[in-house]
Amino acid sequence: MQLVFKLIPQLIAWTVMVLLLLRGMPGRRGAVLISAVTGFSLGVAGYLLLSRLFPVTLPLGIIRSAVGGSFFLLWSVAVAALYRSTVRDFPLLRVERLVGTIYCAWGAPLLTGMVAGGIGASGLPRLDNSVLQLLAPLLLLLAGALLVLGARSAEQRLTSSLGVTPSAFLAALVALLLFSSSSSILLDLFAPLSMKVMKGTHDFVHQFMESILIPDHVFIRSAIWGYIGFLFGKEVGFWGGMVIWFTPALLIALAIRLEPLPSVAHIRQGAQRRRLLADAIRTKQYRLVIPALALVALAAAAYQSSFPNVEYWDPKPLAVTATPAGEIFIPRKGEVELEDGRLHKYLYKQGGKEVRFFVLLTPAGKLTVDLDACAICKPDGYGQSEGMVLCYYCKTLIPLDTVGKPGGCNPVPVPFTERGDGVHLDALTLVNSWSRTVQSTTSSKGGK
Amino acid sequence: MNRLLRVLWGILSSRALPPLVLGFFLLLYIGIAFFFDETLIMLMAITRRIPLLAALLALLPLNGVCRMILEAGRYLKRRQALSGAVVPPELYDETLLLSAPGGFSQLEGRLSAQGYATRGSGHHLAAWQGVTLFPARLLYLAGMFCLFAGILISLVSRGVSRQAVVEGAPFPTAAGNGGMVEKIIFEKAAGPILARNLFIKVADSGMGEGEQTFRLYPPALFRGAFVYPRYLGISLAYRFFAPDQGGVVENRAVLPLYPPGKEASTVIAGTPYRLTLSLAKPEDGSDPYMTGKTLFLFKLLKGDELVLTGSVPGGGEFVRDGYRLAIPDARRMVITDFVVDYGVLLIWGAGLLFAAAFILWLPVRIFFPLREMLFRSQGELLQACSRAEGGGRRHAGVFHEALDLLELSKSGVKAEE
Repeated sequence: MQLVFKLIPQLIAWTVMVLLLLRGMPGRRGAVLISAVTGFSLGVAGYLLLSRLFPVTLPLGIIRSAVGGSFFLLWSVAVAALYRSTVRDFPLLRVERLVGTIYCAWGAPLLTGMVAGGIGASGLPRLDNSVLQLLAPLLLLLAGALLVLGARSAEQRLTSSLGVTPSAFLAALVALLLFSSSSSILLDLFAPLSMKVMKGTHDFVHQFMESILIPDHVFIRSAIWGYIGFLFGKEVGFWGGMVIWFTPALLIALAIRLEPLPSVAHIRQGAQRRRLLADAIRTKQYRLVIPALALVALAAAAYQSSFPNVEYWDPKPLAVTATPAGEIFIPRKGEVELEDGRLHKYLYKQGGKEVRFFVLLTPAGKLTVDLDACAICKPDGYGQSEGMVLCYYCKTLIPLDTVGKPGGCNPVPVPFTERGDGVHLDALTLVNSWSRTVQSTTSSKGGK
Repeated sequence: MNRLLRVLWGILSSRALPPLVLGFFLLLYIGIAFFFDETLIMLMAITRRIPLLAALLALLPLNGVCRMILEAGRYLKRRQALSGAVVPPELYDETLLLSAPGGFSQLEGRLSAQGYATRGSGHHLAAWQGVTLFPARLLYLAGMFCLFAGILISLVSRGVSRQAVVEGAPFPTAAGNGGMVEKIIFEKAAGPILARNLFIKVADSGMGEGEQTFRLYPPALFRGAFVYPRYLGISLAYRFFAPDQGGVVENRAVLPLYPPGKEASTVIAGTPYRLTLSLAKPEDGSDPYMTGKTLFLFKLLKGDELVLTGSVPGGGEFVRDGYRLAIPDARRMVITDFVVDYGVLLIWGAGLLFAAAFILWLPVRIFFPLREMLFRSQGELLQACSRAEGGGRRHAGVFHEALDLLELSKSGVKAEE
């Protein structure tokens, strides 16, 4: 039952995708239906096969790349659409001539179906019961195929006025794929995008100020520096991410809005001119429905990404103390099993300072000790999900096999000594490392 | 050859070129982001090192110039058309060929009544309303040229030399013939942006430069390099004696100690000791860098072991447990970048041009956008053209009614392909 609820958003998105495909290629419904079902089945089967044969990061990476690639394509198409809308008699490009052909009628639903099927399959839980394990994908395939038929039936009931431009069609498809993928934290693209925007803005502003020789913050009024400091904040990442997220669909809507009306100057009856123009305006308004749908799907995806419905392994930190020589010792076995593959958090207090750190056995079989903070985010800490740890602040996923390596949003590694009895680390080094990290990530300029 | 030049001109002057080039660099940035944390710095370094990428970037200022030439040419042709010259149809939103009317007097009266200025002869009539956006567009394109030319020059030619400018020491130059730094003045500023001002007064070096004063912004040029003050600090002389060491160590250190509380450390040469210093915050709230009254807080470390902490005023001495630390001389110091980069001037220029373009564009676009129409007899035919830089729907209505009016006197309409 939980499975059904979990997959409902993806299945709804899949239905709307098929509906759009049918509306976008009205003369080739048969090809669209067959290739959509085939693609969905291939996506489900391919994901399951790859996740059995390889680490799950491989099929997830393929899906993320496909969805990310489609977003790039959407950006290119959106810019081209806007450019075209401002130029009269722009010739059709060779690529555009493919839209509406048999190749497109087979290819687009097949690719869309494969990605949608892969996303759906990634949401299937791992079940202990082997019968259920086999039944779940079959049920998903059945649901996918039935919804294709449902989409066909719904599409026939839609008004014929609801036209789709190729760019709007792509916007809606990509938006729905992004919506589907955002339901899984492992496939979500919005949070990593926000993170990259935050870093990119920080770098750009810093570089820009140096390039045009603007004085440092020592010389600038604190109020002015406060505005500049805003550009280094988390909000810039979020809102910058939102701009990048929504802009392609908005550009496409704008392109439709700016499309020149048909020339009626050669018609000498005013009433006829007005009727033609009114018809053209109404058609343009109908064409705006699909970009609007894309905007709704993108908003839903950003919401799902910001408020993910996922639980993480995040144990309460255990208090530890140091010996008079300043050594902290964590036994290999005892209250917790250090080598159970789970993240174990500890809290060390010295003076007024509190240091959070964790010990984890990486997939390579090595213990690692790291601060519960990274070198760039505020120290909100990490949670563990399957094969990953997640930075709570920026929601970046870090594969377990890279934990213990410095850089980026990875937890800051702490030097330690592993002996037979457990892990030994220097309390002063730990406190200094925490102080350096927290100081650099909570200052107005360096913190995100 | 001519065909090749035409194609080249078409590419260089295309409006599609900037988004394509910028899109390419964006993709490159994203690609680099997968592998490096310092993405922008890496992108800049790659562009600097690979001539092909620099050439690609150079297409942007080149495109700005080509667009200026192209659009200026189109503007001039439209101006000539208003005076009755041949009308190039591609310069207008709508162009039609009709059978020639008897005259334009009735139409001229109608258009004048609707607020259009008119100019005409027996063979042509031009009517227009509002102000052209062309000057704003030209400023914008000039800004684009300056911006990208500035970025390109900055990327490929920027050279930075970081030096410590110390009060009472020669101004640092490669040849070593800078004038004496007479005074570094750090004071509160009353401006809306700068909270504090910095002046570096340099005596005549004997090279014909005279006395010079370097300010914060805009940074002044000194022998072809911008003087760009970065951080403040103290250049101090210290004298140290430890009971476990043979003798007194005397040395100088240049430490970025500003603002008060900021720590910087120096290794005491020839000893296992390290000195960590910071400026104390005066109780009266004054700024020690401004007043010159310095009190140094210090930590003395031997390896990682903290040996001693205390404070010593500039010009004073600290003595405890056989240790002696004196700071006989403490002077203001500014860590300064000497930046050789003429692209900066172009980038500043671009900022001014963009501001001017926007100030010009906004009111014109909102309140007085240019709308024009043109009627020109060519034998038995009449060429009618219309164009609007804003308010196009209303203008198109007036244009269509004008055509209707002409049709009343003559019949037979033919739309131009």
